[in-house]
Amino acid sequence: MAELLKANIMAHFAYYRRSRLLLAFLLVFLLLTGLSSLPALFMNSGVQSFNSLHQIFEVLNVFLLFFAGGLGLFIMSSHLRSRSLKMVFTKPCPPALWLVSVFWSAVTVSLLLNCIVFASAAVLSFVWHLPVRAALLFISVDTFIASVGIIAYLMLLTTLVHPAIAVTFALIFNADLFYGGYEWTQSVIRAGNSSVWLRILDHLFHYLYFILPMVYAFAKKTENIYSSFRVSQGEWKYLLFSFGYVTVLSVFCYSLALLALQRKKHI
Amino acid sequence: MIVAENVHVRFRRGIFRRPIQALHGLNLEVREGDFFALVGQNGAGKSTAMYCFLGLMKPSSGRIEVMGKTPYLGSPLYQGVAYLPEEPHYHLYLTVEEATRYYASLYGKRIPDKTINETLERLGLAQFKTLRLAKCSKGMKQKVGIAQCLIHETRLLFLDEPTRGLDPLVIREFREWLREIHSRGATIVMNSHVLSEIEMLANRVAIIERGKVVVQDELRNLLTLDRELYSVAYEGNGVVPDYLSSVERLGALVKGAIAKERLYDFMEFSRDAGLLVHECSLKKTSLEESFFNIVKGGGETELSERRNGEYMATQDTATPGGSEGQWRNC
Repeated sequence: MAELLKANIMAHFAYYRRSRLLLAFLLVFLLLTGLSSLPALFMNSGVQSFNSLHQIFEVLNVFLLFFAGGLGLFIMSSHLRSRSLKMVFTKPCPPALWLVSVFWSAVTVSLLLNCIVFASAAVLSFVWHLPVRAALLFISVDTFIASVGIIAYLMLLTTLVHPAIAVTFALIFNADLFYGGYEWTQSVIRAGNSSVWLRILDHLFHYLYFILPMVYAFAKKTENIYSSFRVSQGEWKYLLFSFGYVTVLSVFCYSLALLALQRKKHI
Repeated sequence: MIVAENVHVRFRRGIFRRPIQALHGLNLEVREGDFFALVGQNGAGKSTAMYCFLGLMKPSSGRIEVMGKTPYLGSPLYQGVAYLPEEPHYHLYLTVEEATRYYASLYGKRIPDKTINETLERLGLAQFKTLRLAKCSKGMKQKVGIAQCLIHETRLLFLDEPTRGLDPLVIREFREWLREIHSRGATIVMNSHVLSEIEMLANRVAIIERGKVVVQDELRNLLTLDRELYSVAYEGNGVVPDYLSSVERLGALVKGAIAKERLYDFMEFSRDAGLLVHECSLKKTSLEESFFNIVKGGGETELSERRNGEYMATQDTATPGGSEGQWRNC
């Protein structure tokens, strides 16, 4: 079993290394980040340097989330569309194990990139004579946990539908959209409009908000850390909560993706 | 080795979910050690049958057993099974060496570098081992597929149109590899349109037509489907008996075909006329001719005859005794 897992993970790493789509994705984001951080190199004051570090770190973390989604999406869609899985599943390698290997390989790459971003932020802090804040570590870990959830979710969507539909669905129909919708219906209801359709819509938005996966499950609780770069002792627990949420989400996505993979005709 | 009983496969395809009946009561048996060929027109159901044997598709009804077990994706029964799909269903982003190692490792065993290198050397792939499969020719890709059979002791090998798009030299080489794998005791199931190739390799053939097997027999039996006809060539008085068909004259030599039931009439005729008979042999049919005979007409009749075992044992030559004429090469 370990040999099978290793063989699959090594093959996936080869895919990540050679995927031109992922490479292009990486280069575009690095270029954008580089361009946005260019002015910061010519700043002298500590406040300006702190603001630059804050901005660069924020952009890089958003990029990490997108890239994590890309990892899950591209590897699944590439294998499903090239029909190469028939070479895997006609050997004593069950879909459950292959799916685990895809997930682990994507999570490993994501972890590696998170570590690089954290290390870069720490180096920049050192170069600009800023203290290496604990919030950097908190945000990096939180982003990594969120990336794991995104990988699992995108893998599921790509197994179920065409990758273009999967991306559209993930970008548009997400929990934030329905939370916004829920807040809107609540405000209208509070203003005195209590039609049946509005109440139905309110319930629909509410349930969809709960059903759809969230990128940051405890965003409201941790938003202060992201804006101030300060983390208090009591706030570290949210990482554990996020980890719990992402574990449940990943198991759910994995189970559904496995079911879909087993029902698919790999011909 | 493989048993398929009354297998039906139905699925829906396209925007309008048009129902398709791919297999319609397929019955098949592949015995251990067979080099078994699935033959049929496009859309007859050959590939679907193979996908069902490999667990890539589930039959809507019926029973399939491979080595005594029902196949499903990633089943442990595939420990002794290898599959060579049509191009380009390989992991094209891997190099030749990586792909060979990967496919071999999927059997769950650690493969030493030495074994990989030796196999690549043997298949003539050593100099291309850093080349990605996406840039390899089809022949090279098929060799990568063959490598897994050489690294592991394959008991059952499935080949889906293995020589399509290969050049004649590679086809010949490929044929030799297949013969070697078969001689090691592997059972091979091949799906191909190239009937001449099947004739060279297979020992048993199933002809599939509209989702069911119309003929399943030893290849040598299929090649003697026109067993009623004997071809004759003789020299003599220039007289041609009226039961001789497809007559050709080459100087004094007369060539033609005789129905089996008139063979003894011809023997009497040759003795009475003192003919010099050069040839009198069972007319050989190619698999292609047999295939067309079966598919384009009378296939069902042939099948029922074969199932009932009513046809005679094959006789390659007829040598009449007591003839006063001269018989050569008969």
